[in-house]
Amino acid sequence: MARTFDAVELELLWRRLISLVDEAAAALVRTSFSTLVRESYDFSCIVTDAAGQSLVQATESIPSFIGTLPETVKHFLKAYPPETLAPGDVLITNDLWLGTGHLPDITVAKPIFLDGRLVAFSASTAHAPDIGGKIRSPEPREVFEEGLQIPPLKLMRGGATDETLVAMIRKNVRTPDQTMGDLWAQVVALDLMEDRLLGLMRQYGLPDLTDLAAEIQGRCEAAMREAIRALPDGTYHSELQTDGLLDKPVTIRMALTIAGDAISMDFAGTDAQVDRAINCAYCYTYAMCMYGVKVCTNPSLPNNEGAWRPISVTAPPGSIVNPVFPASGGSRMLIGHYLPMLVFGCLGQVVPERVMAACGSPMWGMNQSGVRDGKPFANMFFFNGGMGGNVRGDGVTTLSWPSNVSSTSIEISEHIAPLRFHHKTLRPDSGGPGRHRGGLGQEIEVESLSDTPIAVSFLAERTIFPAFGIEGGKPGAPGELRINGERTDPKRQYVLLRGDRVTLRTPGGGGHGAPSERDPAALAHDLTHGYVTEAESYRR
Amino acid sequence: MAAPYSLGIDIGGTFTDLVVLDPRDGRAVIWKESTTPDDPARGTMAGTRAVLEKAGIGPGEIGRVVHATTLFTNALIERKGARTGLLTTAGFRDTLEIGRERKYELYDLFIEMPKPLVPRPWRREAAERLAPDGSVERPLDLDAALREVESLVAAGIESLAVVFLHAYANPAHERAVAEAVAKRFPALSLSLSSDIAPEIREYPRASTTVANAYVRPLAETYLARLEGALREAGIPGRLFLMLSNGGLTHVEEAKRAPVHLLESGPAAGALAGAWFGRHAGLDRVLAFDMGGTTAKLALVDDGEPLVAWGFEAAREKRFLRGSGLPIQIATVELIEIGAGGGSIARRSGLGTLQVGPESSGAQPGPACYGRGGAEPTVTDADLSLGYLNAEFFLGGAMRIDAAASEASLGRLAGALGVAGERAAFGVHDVVNENMAGAARVAIAERGRIPAEYALLATGGAAPVHAWHVARKLGVTRVACPPGAGAGSTIGMLMAPARVDRVASFNAPLSGADYAAAGRVFAALEAEALAVLRETGAAEDGRVARRLADMRYIGQGSEITVALPETLTEAPVRAAFEAAYRRLFARTPPGAAAQFVALRLSLTAPMPGAGGTLRLPQHAGSTARKGERPVFFPDAGKTLPTAVYDRYALAPGAEVAGPAVFEEDESTFIIGPGASARVLADGTILAEIAPSDDRSAEGRGGLNRPAQEEKR
Repeated sequence: MARTFDAVELELLWRRLISLVDEAAAALVRTSFSTLVRESYDFSCIVTDAAGQSLVQATESIPSFIGTLPETVKHFLKAYPPETLAPGDVLITNDLWLGTGHLPDITVAKPIFLDGRLVAFSASTAHAPDIGGKIRSPEPREVFEEGLQIPPLKLMRGGATDETLVAMIRKNVRTPDQTMGDLWAQVVALDLMEDRLLGLMRQYGLPDLTDLAAEIQGRCEAAMREAIRALPDGTYHSELQTDGLLDKPVTIRMALTIAGDAISMDFAGTDAQVDRAINCAYCYTYAMCMYGVKVCTNPSLPNNEGAWRPISVTAPPGSIVNPVFPASGGSRMLIGHYLPMLVFGCLGQVVPERVMAACGSPMWGMNQSGVRDGKPFANMFFFNGGMGGNVRGDGVTTLSWPSNVSSTSIEISEHIAPLRFHHKTLRPDSGGPGRHRGGLGQEIEVESLSDTPIAVSFLAERTIFPAFGIEGGKPGAPGELRINGERTDPKRQYVLLRGDRVTLRTPGGGGHGAPSERDPAALAHDLTHGYVTEAESYRR
Repeated sequence: MAAPYSLGIDIGGTFTDLVVLDPRDGRAVIWKESTTPDDPARGTMAGTRAVLEKAGIGPGEIGRVVHATTLFTNALIERKGARTGLLTTAGFRDTLEIGRERKYELYDLFIEMPKPLVPRPWRREAAERLAPDGSVERPLDLDAALREVESLVAAGIESLAVVFLHAYANPAHERAVAEAVAKRFPALSLSLSSDIAPEIREYPRASTTVANAYVRPLAETYLARLEGALREAGIPGRLFLMLSNGGLTHVEEAKRAPVHLLESGPAAGALAGAWFGRHAGLDRVLAFDMGGTTAKLALVDDGEPLVAWGFEAAREKRFLRGSGLPIQIATVELIEIGAGGGSIARRSGLGTLQVGPESSGAQPGPACYGRGGAEPTVTDADLSLGYLNAEFFLGGAMRIDAAASEASLGRLAGALGVAGERAAFGVHDVVNENMAGAARVAIAERGRIPAEYALLATGGAAPVHAWHVARKLGVTRVACPPGAGAGSTIGMLMAPARVDRVASFNAPLSGADYAAAGRVFAALEAEALAVLRETGAAEDGRVARRLADMRYIGQGSEITVALPETLTEAPVRAAFEAAYRRLFARTPPGAAAQFVALRLSLTAPMPGAGGTLRLPQHAGSTARKGERPVFFPDAGKTLPTAVYDRYALAPGAEVAGPAVFEEDESTFIIGPGASARVLADGTILAEIAPSDDRSAEGRGGLNRPAQEEKR
């Protein structure tokens, strides 16, 4: 007979589950080498039931992994059915299609057994400091160029490490100690979740998680369905263009259907995959669509399998949002970060008050690698644009969205790379005009001080198609990338010599509502603060 | 001694707590006065007169005044500080506004980030540039810098922050500006980043320096006013200020760097926890303070509160990390959660019982206050379960509407579909779980195990909840000191003088110039000693601790490590690895470590800081007041439970649980199986045999066998 939980017991058990994944996340953050994990929380920790259906996720995480990690656990189960798993096993993969859509994200999972029965998985994804291959840029044409591919394998069998696999990984990455160090940090997090979960199950006399999972997932599913049911049925369309490969923009089309208590999204009509690493694997497409729906239907709902059940995503195989092998995908966010905007384009037709104008995302970044004092170095620095205006107010200036990757300190950057930053300032007039203005982008200028060449590549989008406004708002300023003053193709790799200067201008967010409706006091404030210098374009 | 007494003053948002202590015998008298936000010195002086009268002593007998205040924190929260300008390196005036570029809440499209304390027009740039090693790449154009300052002064700024890139490595440019500005604009208040927070990372350093500049004029005026008022009142004793690090400093130092006072109130609370813990013979204490809206937890190891090297002030969302202004100062580490007596219990959107973080506040307050609060709160549940006494609420000073409590809980039970008593204990249990969960994560982050700690309860609601929180954590000892309501004020009077200083020191562990590190420490110690001396501390009893921020090369953040006596590579490496292993269970193989910064922490006892405490007893009254039914989950039912007047219990008294101890500000509950005794200072220490499986919730920390060695 199924065990039932009353309102009090369920809350207590749920709290405990959240506290144990958060405890593991705290341990992972503190033990990790990757600045992406430690400063940008580019990781996630979860506990799933025995079927790989997620129960709880760590509070601090980024939206992409919230959607991808549970799916990866299910892929593990397909490769390793329960009868092939034993206590002390740790599974690993960074497969582009089964993981997160690019190789640096390594996912590990541990089957958890209670009294000889498989009852759960603890799992974690984290961005590795390096995974080998060409340095991160949109240039690779096939996944083979992007680094080491690890299919679903056992990193540990019954507690014993597979030394062959470890040796293979170490040989194939630029920073073997750090990459392995982070991997073991993830394993510690898995162990910690296992220890706490088993303690909890014993204390409450739970032989397995079946009934508890059904209760938690069932309540979230019901809440999500209720939120969707409140929206009018229908099929809504949106499309947008991205810079793509500059000479060839990419068009993405979405049809979003609300049918009763379910939402389905389909990408029929979206452009085909390309032979550059901006392809967005289905796993990432799925995660970004889920995020888009969640923020404007039920933003405070806990993340678990139940919350996602009423939502589905389909995309034509071979399209840029569902590329097939051997597509490259290292810079998948250059497509993926647009996808929540398509969701807003559709849902904004029924709940305009819950969406915002387009953001100056995808995130921007500059990757550099070279040799310094005889040793190789490689770093990625991130920069963000402005958020879109919304019904309540102006878009936030320079904020990571939909991802949540913080920028690196200039002082730290100058310590770890032979670079000098000349400025990092807000970009006046970059916020899209509107009743509520878009958030500002920023301008960064950086010079190479290196006597040896530095290879640089970029994450840079919206250099052609700016962040659009909505409800009569105007677009933000497009982004720009210049090297020594010349506009350059951000999808290519460049070599910087000593004295070469790179200028990055991140895009501003789009405006919300007609500029003519802007409060004159707000415009005056923008003028005195230098957020706006050309008042005219902000008045009409 | 002519003026033997110490006076402690803790100004909070609602009340100003005052304590007079006679350090010779530990006798203390407590007084609560309403805070006067328009002029805090007024309420303080009214309270001072009242507490002196109650203690029956004259102002001339106060030899020392110790003070903590939330005034500066509130100025940040309410944005009521000085008109502040910022002078920074050319190209970087927007650092303060661009911030970390990271959301503190993933799913809120309408997110608002904290506004910078200095608006853009008052952020100006100076032509100058230092390299990461501190060498000058572009000399300072002092004339141009002065012109910017001149224009800021013309715009009406009263305080100036100077933050140059890499100034932690070389303060020369900042100091040159300061010298010239001081000559030209002597009235302008100045704060330099190389002085206030000389640590790498420009955004937190700028944020800290600007916060200091923002509250500095206020600190200068207020502290001068308070000193004057104390003098006028005839108090000869010197004024000392409580710092966020849990130590004391003198007025001039507090005026120079008031940013170090931001967390002075909570630090005093943690210090009181440490002090009472020490006296109860407990070295590891989880100091647990629970008031009306929030609960605070602080870890005390080996008798001292753990200190963190940064915190966030003025958060947009109080309990969300990342929503505030980063402040890089030494501060007693506190975990704050939205759990208090006023926390509201509701059916969540998912049909579960949710408690807090929303609070009924003082108005309307819990349903039982009878002021129109319809929703049940933690206090209502505590009342219904028998933990609180309707007849003796706030020592009988407040009339309580128990029927309103029951009605509100009944409605909640109906909404949840559970029995009435189940709802009441559910509220108590869920709020306890919220606090225990936060404690577990905090303890795990430090690689410790909850069972090593004793829980020490202060604040109005903590003694009511401590027993069950301890059971959740697998903690076997719970202490409840006397006068818990004024605990933090008592903590201040026991505080040592303390100075924390930091210097950037960027070098790999192998091949570092250890002699140079020694010289840095010597310079930091000389600087700290000067402050300590000025504070009038007992210099001979001083303890200097040398610490270092270290990491493996390539890691993004550091750990702070206590350094060994001998500053050479091998022992330093051993200390780093031991600390790393304690936190993270293992050290990565083959990785090289580095220094990032050196820290010096200097403490010395304050003359007049009491070593004991005695609060007035209810002489001659009977300790056992009676009996009432109280619900205990271990027993699964309501048990007839003895009620004691805590003031009438003599030191040495022993009581077996279940029991209720009543005092004016709070009620201490212990469950079946507990054995409690009253210690010499009046603290009640309750213990239970190490628990069975059912409550062994807080097992292992991260202290597993080292992974790499196994493999």
